[in-house]
Amino acid sequence: MNKFIALTKIQIFDFLSKYTQHLNVKNKWLGKLALLLPALLIIPALQLVLSMYEIFDSVGFPELTITYMYIANVMMMFFAGIPFIISVFFYSKDLPFLTSLPLKEDTIVFSKLASVYIYLLAIGCFFFGTSVIIYGVKGGLQLYSLTAGLIALLISPLIPMILSTLLIIPFMSIIGRGKRRNLMVMAGNIILVVAIIFIQLSIAKVQIDPEAFSSILLQEDGLLMLIGRSFPPSIWLTQMIKGSLISGVLFILLNIALIYSLKLVSHLLYRNGLLAFNQEGGGFNEKGKIYYKKRSKGIQIIKRHILIIFSNPVFTLNTVMTMIIPILVFIIMLFTGEVNTGLFQSPMLAPYVVFIYTAVIATPAIVGSISATVITREGKTFWETKVLPITTADNIKYRVYSTFILSFGGSLVLAIVGAAFLPVSPIMIIVASIFCISATLFFSTIDIAINIERPILNWTNPTTAVKNNLNIMISLLIRLLTGGVLYLLYMLINNLSANVILIIFSFILVSLYGVSYYVVLNKYINKFNNIVC
Amino acid sequence: MLVLKNVSKSYDNSKNAVDKISLEIKKGEIIGFIGPNGAGKTTTIKMITGIISPTEGDIVINGVDISKAPIEAKKNFTYVPDHPSIFDAIKGIDYLNFIADMYEVSIKDRKERIERFTKVFQIYDALAQTINSYSHGMRQKLLLSGALLPNPNLFILDEPLVGLDPHSAKLLKDLMKEHCRNGGTIFFSSHVLEVVENLCDRVAIIHKGKLIACDTPDNIKKNKDLTLEEVFLEMTKDE
Repeated sequence: MNKFIALTKIQIFDFLSKYTQHLNVKNKWLGKLALLLPALLIIPALQLVLSMYEIFDSVGFPELTITYMYIANVMMMFFAGIPFIISVFFYSKDLPFLTSLPLKEDTIVFSKLASVYIYLLAIGCFFFGTSVIIYGVKGGLQLYSLTAGLIALLISPLIPMILSTLLIIPFMSIIGRGKRRNLMVMAGNIILVVAIIFIQLSIAKVQIDPEAFSSILLQEDGLLMLIGRSFPPSIWLTQMIKGSLISGVLFILLNIALIYSLKLVSHLLYRNGLLAFNQEGGGFNEKGKIYYKKRSKGIQIIKRHILIIFSNPVFTLNTVMTMIIPILVFIIMLFTGEVNTGLFQSPMLAPYVVFIYTAVIATPAIVGSISATVITREGKTFWETKVLPITTADNIKYRVYSTFILSFGGSLVLAIVGAAFLPVSPIMIIVASIFCISATLFFSTIDIAINIERPILNWTNPTTAVKNNLNIMISLLIRLLTGGVLYLLYMLINNLSANVILIIFSFILVSLYGVSYYVVLNKYINKFNNIVC
Repeated sequence: MLVLKNVSKSYDNSKNAVDKISLEIKKGEIIGFIGPNGAGKTTTIKMITGIISPTEGDIVINGVDISKAPIEAKKNFTYVPDHPSIFDAIKGIDYLNFIADMYEVSIKDRKERIERFTKVFQIYDALAQTINSYSHGMRQKLLLSGALLPNPNLFILDEPLVGLDPHSAKLLKDLMKEHCRNGGTIFFSSHVLEVVENLCDRVAIIHKGKLIACDTPDNIKKNKDLTLEEVFLEMTKDE
């Protein structure tokens, strides 16, 4: 077998097997069904695309659904791709093995990208894939559009993947040198993401000359040109799906050109990026003091769990990004003028300010899912706390506490920033904080049950531990269900004041926390003890 | 000190990885636990240390059943696994302080013991460095120092000599002997049969999950002019 195909096959097999491992579902078919669980996320995607299609269809340009979803998809893939590329290229445990094999440099680079491609394609299926199907079916079954759309979907991960690879590998080789390289990698990547968002928003904000604007709109595809000007390949892609062969050829040629460019520079990326990074010492060899200090068992173990996150750049980036991204986007939008503080003072918004503030500060609890991977993150070192003279209940509790501390810490930052921009009263802050604490307690506890059910201790790259696993999907589904139930309840009691509604929601979440705490510390003790490590 | 009564473990509810093992280890003994790859050594050790639960049977450590009173049982032993996989983003001294806190070792004792063991293993000067800068052997020495730190009644080691240089291996063997002279008990697995033969009071042999022998090296060899290795190979030969 061709070396590239053999290596790619192994990489993809390894990547996919992580999903099927540790499902803990005995029945073969039930196991396969469980694999499809993430597909449930297609429901909100479908709703979004359908509503967007109706809007564009009403103005006579349904194909703009595809343009919009493709641009959004490229951005999503680009940001999702960065931590994954860092993980598979720089923190993967198979790298020493791969570098010792008699393989060409581009073979290693491209085979590593195969798993990134599958991951991004899965993301693409949700929003862009849905838009292609809706467009192909809603306007009467259009076989050509569906086929062209499917080809476009398969190609869609290439541009964001190659661009992030070309950006991140040299960037990592620059920041990843020296003693404090993990710190540099974390800080550098956060700054990079902020810079990319800033540039993107600044470009989008560039005003075009009114005359040029009018002439664009007068063209046959004027609206498409206007929307797609921020990312021109989206214009070719839309026209390709609409039936233009020339645009199709242009879009495909662009992707081929990018693949070829990556091939051309892959030896540079490999030598100056991958090898250079891995030749640096892994540890921070500071000559500090030897000390003898006593601390409580609880503090030691909580500290350990928090350090596990902050000692690994991939874990840190994943945690910080999911928690703080709303605030980053908001600040950047303020800088670029997309949003102004006057908007929040609008009387129209006044009844919803407390809900907005609550949603902002509860973001870490809602999107964090840190508890769902607290055992998995430990990997092969999980045995350490199991042999220590601490109760299993404490061992589980300290994990929940460490999640609570991190999640609540993120909420505190968001609460301060949120209060600076939103016209919130002290009562609103208290109500929002009560909701946030209740949500954090409930989700931190329910998530650990997920991880006890499905601990994945044997992973090759850290992204698998914190992102690409079913635990996160289940955790998000629980949030979706909880949100759905609370929304239904809101529809029933929306005649009450916002503060009262939020207090009722908090009471429900605290009650759910009580139930989940009881279940975890009674029913899950044995399961925790039986985790094989 | 350590009693195993009809202990079995099955991972798939069909075949026993460890099958009805019964064993009694007295205070002050050094017991070597040997067997071919996949015989059930590590599974047995993981059950003794509470990492996994036995499917059936009882494990009693210093009179305490580990399934009934795990904390009390765990206070009696420390464990060194066959792979030095520990959380490595912290400094060596952080790890040792962590272990000392877990086993409630006083400041005075931890200072004295940390200095003693880490100097013996020649890693004292590296204690202020993060563990991820350590070599495989240095990690193993750190784990050994951490396991000796609480001065455990029972010292359990899974393949402790893997990764150690000859000098450190000799030091470990001396420490093991000294630990037993001071009233401690040692249960360790190894593939280095020469060491087992020379160091142990008794040897337990496991094969295909069953304990096929547990006696002094001389009795196992039936006082013939054979090495333990020769007897072991004969006993574990597949028909």
